Amino acid sequence: MIEALELCKVFRDKKRGEIRAVDGVSFRCLPGKIYGLLGANGAGKTTTLRMLATILKPSSGTAKVAGSDVATEPDEVRRKVGFLSTATALYGRLTAQEMVEYFGRLHGMNGGELRRRIDEIFGWLDMNEFRDRRCDKLSTGMKQKVSIARTLVHDPPVMIFDEPTLGLDVMTARIINAFIRECRDQGKTVIFSTHVMSEAEKLCDTIGIIHNGKLLAEGTLAQLRQRYAMIDLEDIFVQVVEKPAAALADAPGRTM
Amino acid sequence: MKPANIGIVYRKELTDTLRDRRTLISSILVPILLFPVLILGVAGLAIFVVQKTRTEGSRVMLLGAEHAPQLAARLEREKTLRLTPPAAGYAAQIDAKSLRAALEIPPQMEARLRSNPEETQTATIYWYEGELRSQTAVRTIERAVADYREEVLAARLAERNLPAEVLKPFVAERKNVVSAERVTGNILGLLLPYFFITLALTGAMYPAMDLTAGEKERGTMETILASPVSRAELVLGKFLLVLTASLVTTALSIASFGVTILGGAELLRGVTPGLVVAVSTKAAAAVFFILLPLAILFSAALLAIAVMARSYREAQTYLTPLMFVVILPAMAAFLPGVELNARLALIPILNVSLVSREIFTGQYPWGLIALIFGSTLVYAAAAIGMAIRQFQREEVLFRT
Repeated sequence: MIEALELCKVFRDKKRGEIRAVDGVSFRCLPGKIYGLLGANGAGKTTTLRMLATILKPSSGTAKVAGSDVATEPDEVRRKVGFLSTATALYGRLTAQEMVEYFGRLHGMNGGELRRRIDEIFGWLDMNEFRDRRCDKLSTGMKQKVSIARTLVHDPPVMIFDEPTLGLDVMTARIINAFIRECRDQGKTVIFSTHVMSEAEKLCDTIGIIHNGKLLAEGTLAQLRQRYAMIDLEDIFVQVVEKPAAALADAPGRTM
Repeated sequence: MKPANIGIVYRKELTDTLRDRRTLISSILVPILLFPVLILGVAGLAIFVVQKTRTEGSRVMLLGAEHAPQLAARLEREKTLRLTPPAAGYAAQIDAKSLRAALEIPPQMEARLRSNPEETQTATIYWYEGELRSQTAVRTIERAVADYREEVLAARLAERNLPAEVLKPFVAERKNVVSAERVTGNILGLLLPYFFITLALTGAMYPAMDLTAGEKERGTMETILASPVSRAELVLGKFLLVLTASLVTTALSIASFGVTILGGAELLRGVTPGLVVAVSTKAAAAVFFILLPLAILFSAALLAIAVMARSYREAQTYLTPLMFVVILPAMAAFLPGVELNARLALIPILNVSLVSREIFTGQYPWGLIALIFGSTLVYAAAAIGMAIRQFQREEVLFRT
């Protein structure tokens, strides 16, 4: 479970002054469900997810991830979260196994427990063939599998995906999307961000539309279609973004 | 903070670094090869030049040989000179380096030495000032001329029945009273601190950039920041790796230097007989010890600066000026007038440079050594604190 309450992140920029990258965002993500943050580039998706993953500290507001507060118990949160984004690359000079082992050890695993877990994941993701190959020698698809194995090694209850398919080819993107569904089916809480409408339509149980740091609309796809009397998510998105005041008035609560 | 996590980070960075060719070159290959190449290269070149001069001989022209047949015969006997018949345009030949020198004997020199003993005969040596082989030829000519003068003098004294000592009432002789170790140390003490300090820095430089800016550039910074390792643990693990690289570089360079200087001396003895070179292992160990806190300071400071950069290239831009900041005080040992005192012992880098010079000459000012070790440790601790703070600043880690 993830509960964000009035999350704010303010950056100070020399030229542009104060920037409210995330401005009072609240939402809840439930176990066994996929929550999608839909927004254009610069809408505040990455900053929100980074705050949930404790990579950034909120300027104000709070968020609880699997019961732990991101501001006061960041170490606890990181133990319960698997974080994957296109920016989370691999150590090229480590082998696939060394890469996953490293993060397993940082999660306090070792010895037989770690070995069994790695064997399990490598078998499941069909990674044994390139187990001892250096990460910089792997294909994009293989790299994504290593990243997935890295986020899974400690079997976290919460998964955070920041535009995980950005820049990937169709086949590799399918690996990721299948993995996101798999996480949901295992009962994990999943939040992911995207600017691709079709991806949000296909994957999300709940969609949150974020723009200029504010969460403007939220609901299941069916709820959003009904509320805006439109079928196409792209049309709904444009409507929400262009008439934020109306959208806010329309959004009744934190519907899941 | 969990020490276990620091160890995990350290071991991973070690594996990673040992597979990085750039770091291996700067931390292991450069310190091993620098001194052999530098010292043996210079020594080898000197030997080569000297031997070439000896075997080939220098072409020297004798003008007016008929006026001093005895002197001419002496020069003829010099193995390293090849006399060529007189010709016009010797100055141009010297200029073109086809002729090394020319000796012009004044008219009737030997006859006038006998007939006009109260008169000084002046021969002229033409040469290429500052040119090494011309200088070698001139030295041989001058020695032959001096020998001939001695002979003429001895003959004149003998004619008057006077002993040779009349012209040499007394002499002063030099006698060295210090050990070969100190003689060597005095020369080495000028140069070595500079080299060792610079190497302690360059050995740490590449890993420091690779572990910070390199990590950002390759996109792994966000990966590691999302893991349960704390920022302080991460910095300390990285710091220990950078420090290891710096110390390995320093130790290798000291060892490589020792081996090279002893081997080089063996070679040089062939050219300069009686040359004694000795390096004390105690001095080498003491210098390594005093470089330890400096290596800590360098490693932490490099990390704190390099983490501000977004890319390897940007990090290089930041760290290159730092080289000069380090090189200038490191060269303090070159300055003969600067003596180590309590106040200078507090200036980082400069203090290590000066005390290393003392140590190489066999002086161990323990009080100042303690002061230098302690003060550098304080600076180093501050630098570690700065590095940790940098890793906790979001605007540093996520600069866009």
